[in-house]
Amino acid sequence: MTTTEQASGFKQIQVEDFRITQEPYYLPIHDEVALFEAAYDQKVPVLLKGPTGSGKTRFVEYMSWKLHRHIGNVDEEGVPLITVACHEDLTASDLVGRYLLEGDDTRWIDGPITRAVKVGAICYLDEIVEARKDTTVLIHPLTDYRRLLPVEKRGELLEAAPGFLLVMSYNPGYQSALKDLKHSTRQRFVAIEFNYPPRDMEAEIIHMESGVDRAIAQDLAKLAEKVRNLKEHGLAEGVSTRLLVYAGKLMAKGISPRRACQTGVVWALTDDIEVQRSIEEVVTSIFDE
Amino acid sequence: MTIAEDLTARYAQELRGFGASLPDDFARGAEGVAGVLHEAQLEQWARAGIDLANHSLRSWEAAAEYFRASPGIARALEFDGLMHWVGLATALSARSSLIAAAFLKATPEALATLSPEQFEAWSQQGDRLCRGNWKSIALAALYFQASPGLFASLSLDSVGRLVDIVDQLTERSYELATTCLESAGPIFARLSPEDREPFLRFARAVTRASWADTRLYFERGPKLLEAIAPAQRPAFLDLAARVTLAVGRQGFPLFADAAAALASVEPADHVDLLAFAARLAPGSPQAAMEYLKSAPFVRTRLTPEQMRRWADAGVEILTTERNAEGAEAFFRLESTRAEEMMRALSARVELTSVNTMLRMYAKALSGEQVSVQSTEMLVDKNIGWMSEASATTEGTAIYLPPFVNTFEEQAANFQVYKVFTTHQAGRLEFGSFRYQWLQPGTQTPGSLLERETKRRAETATVEADGAKKRAEATTSMQRFFNLFADRTLIHGIFTVVEDTRVDAYVAREYGGIRRWLRRLQAYEAEHRPEVRTMGLREGLLENLLRISLGRPDTVRWPHALQAHLGRAIGALRVIEQDGATVQDSAEVSAAIYDIAVSIPNILADVPEGDWVMADEEMLSIAPSMPGGGGEGEPQMMPNGEEVAFENPPQPEFRGDFKPELVQLLMKLKLQQQGAQQDGVTAPLTKEQLMELLENSAEITINEWAEGDLASSLGMFLSNLEKEAGTPAGDPKQKGQQPQQDQPGGGGADEGELPMRIDYFFYDEWDFRAADYRPRWARVGERLSDEGDDDFYEETLRKYHGLVLETRRQFELMRPESFRKIKKLEDGHDIDLDDAIEFHVDKKAGVGPIARIYSRRNKVERDVAVAFLLDMSASTDEEIEKQRQKYDKDDNDDFDGDPRKYFQWLAQRRARQAIEPPKRIIDLEKESTVLVVEALEAIGDAYGIYGFSGYGRENVEYHVIKDLGEPFDDRVQRRIAKIEPIRSTRMGPAIRHTIHKLNEYDAKVKILILVSDGRPQDHGYGRDRTEKEYAVHDTKQALVEAKRDGITPFLITVDKEGHDYLKQMCDDIGYEVVDNIESLPRRLPTLYRHLAAE
Repeated sequence: MTTTEQASGFKQIQVEDFRITQEPYYLPIHDEVALFEAAYDQKVPVLLKGPTGSGKTRFVEYMSWKLHRHIGNVDEEGVPLITVACHEDLTASDLVGRYLLEGDDTRWIDGPITRAVKVGAICYLDEIVEARKDTTVLIHPLTDYRRLLPVEKRGELLEAAPGFLLVMSYNPGYQSALKDLKHSTRQRFVAIEFNYPPRDMEAEIIHMESGVDRAIAQDLAKLAEKVRNLKEHGLAEGVSTRLLVYAGKLMAKGISPRRACQTGVVWALTDDIEVQRSIEEVVTSIFDE
Repeated sequence: MTIAEDLTARYAQELRGFGASLPDDFARGAEGVAGVLHEAQLEQWARAGIDLANHSLRSWEAAAEYFRASPGIARALEFDGLMHWVGLATALSARSSLIAAAFLKATPEALATLSPEQFEAWSQQGDRLCRGNWKSIALAALYFQASPGLFASLSLDSVGRLVDIVDQLTERSYELATTCLESAGPIFARLSPEDREPFLRFARAVTRASWADTRLYFERGPKLLEAIAPAQRPAFLDLAARVTLAVGRQGFPLFADAAAALASVEPADHVDLLAFAARLAPGSPQAAMEYLKSAPFVRTRLTPEQMRRWADAGVEILTTERNAEGAEAFFRLESTRAEEMMRALSARVELTSVNTMLRMYAKALSGEQVSVQSTEMLVDKNIGWMSEASATTEGTAIYLPPFVNTFEEQAANFQVYKVFTTHQAGRLEFGSFRYQWLQPGTQTPGSLLERETKRRAETATVEADGAKKRAEATTSMQRFFNLFADRTLIHGIFTVVEDTRVDAYVAREYGGIRRWLRRLQAYEAEHRPEVRTMGLREGLLENLLRISLGRPDTVRWPHALQAHLGRAIGALRVIEQDGATVQDSAEVSAAIYDIAVSIPNILADVPEGDWVMADEEMLSIAPSMPGGGGEGEPQMMPNGEEVAFENPPQPEFRGDFKPELVQLLMKLKLQQQGAQQDGVTAPLTKEQLMELLENSAEITINEWAEGDLASSLGMFLSNLEKEAGTPAGDPKQKGQQPQQDQPGGGGADEGELPMRIDYFFYDEWDFRAADYRPRWARVGERLSDEGDDDFYEETLRKYHGLVLETRRQFELMRPESFRKIKKLEDGHDIDLDDAIEFHVDKKAGVGPIARIYSRRNKVERDVAVAFLLDMSASTDEEIEKQRQKYDKDDNDDFDGDPRKYFQWLAQRRARQAIEPPKRIIDLEKESTVLVVEALEAIGDAYGIYGFSGYGRENVEYHVIKDLGEPFDDRVQRRIAKIEPIRSTRMGPAIRHTIHKLNEYDAKVKILILVSDGRPQDHGYGRDRTEKEYAVHDTKQALVEAKRDGITPFLITVDKEGHDYLKQMCDDIGYEVVDNIESLPRRLPTLYRHLAAE
């Protein structure tokens, strides 16, 4: 393993060596864990659909930690997890790899997806719709029975190691003609739908994640439910569990609930003054001064 | 023979030949004066009389008055005085014996208030009125006749001033002068002494400013004054006089309005108001009166202290800014500054200002598509809700009172609104209307089925007698209420119980609002009616209500019946438990009903000491449902008179609760939707509905029009059905509903729909006041009518070449924005990243293609343009005429050569024979066609609107093509229908176009106004001739457009346009199209220029 501990306290790890060593907190809402385990066993790529902050990334981390037993090498902790945040300038060589100049010579560097294929990691492409269309096509041969990655510049074909799985996330909320997933791509994945958890479970999550007591967590979850009623009526997206956890964290540090909700929820959600005021009124109705 | 008889005998001869009564008058007079005068004096007395009689044909009448009045005068004034007096009379008789007679006759009475020394002045006052003609003589006589009465309340000098006024009036109208003089006596007699002089002073001012108003003043003034605090009347009159001197003919109307306004303000406040007005008067008398006129309105919103601060802001405008017009507008409330100031100061919160926010708040809370509307709207619908003061809901909308002014701080009043909304949203959120027959509750055992069986058994015996058969219950709620004999009572109980449940939920779920809920509950609890004035049964409910408001300390109840109340409270506590549902409310209500009916509704005769307040025991009553047979306990019912039962009034924040009606409405709605979708749902029968409405306790009897109950019910029902047909939520829908009452339904789709007009209100800029006049102009937006099909095609044919040319030009237009495209083999820029990568790849021997260039490419155009066409009457003018007006030089050219002229004339005639003379509006239309063609070619979003109207209430805004609307043959026909209408009120039309553009999403927005002249309209300025106001307002509207990121541009065909356009447009683009016929050519070019900027 090539982990180097630096003097100033940060850690430098090769991407393929990164794995989750401690159990991440994750509260299963439905049968998503069983679904993912089955898909992993059957080497079926997974698409995670859901609004922002609903726990997609956390779920992948949790699964990468949980799945280590499946590949048989128990001394290894977890399946390596390689995450790629997609953006519109992400090119194929960003994913597969490229040559670098080194003196008068060149050196080949593997891209994240190549590394994942080699080590048998879970490769998580976050917000896949943001990536350029040609990039998404690149992954097609990896997602079917072939499990092959062509490395064009080197004239190679890589067959994926046993533990490899491709996982993508996608937020249907942004759906527009420009940013939709091509059908040829989306039909290569099984989709697990994520949504904001029901009030009690969300309260539990907030409580566990932020450290606020259960009563306040319950109030935050209640606020979330109310604010989500406004989706499409002034709000493009409901408030995410992540934001609620942030608000909870502020409260845990002694910020007053109203203030914490204002900065953590209201202002984070929208710039529309009128909508802001309405949500603030909901906040003041739920939280006392 | 006495001296008097002797005298009479001696003069008998001379007295003959006059009126028959004269000798008698003489005899009586002589007798009267004989005791006071000695002989020689008597002689002189008699002589004076005879001379008077001889003076003219009818002067004997004056003499008669002389003889009659003499005894009294002689006694009071003695001989010298007497002679002086008759001398004055003789002098008057030189004018007219009638005047003299009146003078002589009035003297004895006048003597009560006048001293002899004042006689001369007095007679002169009368004399002054006489101008020799008979009208003036009559007036002067009237003066003497009236003067004793006047002297009773006015000094001689004051009367003199009155005479001045009357005299002035005679120059205009003797009739008016007479009326005023006649009425003066009684008027002044009724006025208090301090008011008389000021009244007179104001009268003088009025007469000078506007003589005709004097009559109004004399008629109405005293009555108007009565409303003013007595001590303040002189000050008010003096103020009015001062104002009138300054403003002229507006003086009296201002006075009348101000007085009427003061009448609706507490008299105690008049001191301050008038003192303040007096402060304003020197700077602007008009503002002073406007201030008084606005006072009642302002006082409904502001406390005296707040009003003082508000008014100080107005003074500021007057003194610091030295802007009298601004101050007047401020105090007339025609100023945005005044309104905003008031809003900021006022504690009152208007629904309109918080509506949007509360709507979203209610939506968030309830999770339903609720709208928030004013209770006024619900009452207007006439579907059973009557109160405007309290909040309520009918299931799809939350209704709130139009304003809240409960507390003294604005923030608190806003919280009141919030509590209102929360409670109503709570009814939706916590399911008050979701009662379902026989669904189990969570806190209570079910007893209702048993009740129903029992109740049916009871009523069956009654109905067996042949009464009408009961229809099946329409809704669950109705079925529940049917269980009880006294529907009013059960409705009252259910309301208290359910509201208690909702409040308990709100308090549990919304910790933040709990404090305000408690405060409002406490406020309501402190404003409850006295229990002891109610019947006992009603009292029970009232006490439960107070408990539910969280104020057990306000409970008052007879000691003897404590157990009853205790059991009822126990039941009520059940409903406060977490998890309780509306099903539990029904059970609890039923239990409380049983307790309530065991108590007679009597005005209890209970001694003072036996009324208990809530004790510890009562406060700690645990939730428990009363057992079935608990009524067996011994009880001492107090004695008292039985009274009719009435439910105690609802606290305002809870408001009307009509679950039965709401369930009915929902059912009707479902039915209508069902009917539209599949048409198989069994409809509710009319009988069922009538039955429900007749029995429901939620509609009070006095809501029915007197008389025919059945027809009122029918009408009511059709209102309900109409309401059920309107989609939930959107209040705008209301105006669209064609007003057709067809009971059969289905007819609404046929026949012509009335034109739909949406009204918008816009401020106008008053440049004098340097402020906006709030909501000043009303713009009515409507879809333009359609004309014939041919116009559009014909225009295209006529300008075939031009159309092609403009299209081509438009297609060449420069694009507005670009996007960078990378990885090209050829382009404008080298992309550094790609270049390096290429280099690396080349070194490595792969990727040989040099895709390293980038280029900026155009994306789709994003332009929205609105054309605003002037449809004023002046566009009807022929262009030839215009040309004649302007092109005199051309005509001069012909002078030299008559042949040329005739040639021109012949040509012109020939032209006119072929086509009718073209009008400005035709050119506007043709230009529109060209622009439309061009715009369709490049695909910019565009709207075409026309405007006209008359007056600020009536700005017509015709939509020919809306911004998002696709271009089709209807738009073509609407273009054909563009016609001259009336005036040109540009400002509001521009503002409405801005509104339209703002609603539209585009990067570049352009507003092009095409007009034929300057803005003008009725009332678009201080008076008819003023043009400044209109120009300034239009300019301001254009500035607003710029502020909103819209590029405005003006095109006018008025050659004289340069002068005002320069002022109006400042840095805004404009163009005067010299040759009006070039407009169709010019418009596309201009647009191209603008859109490319």
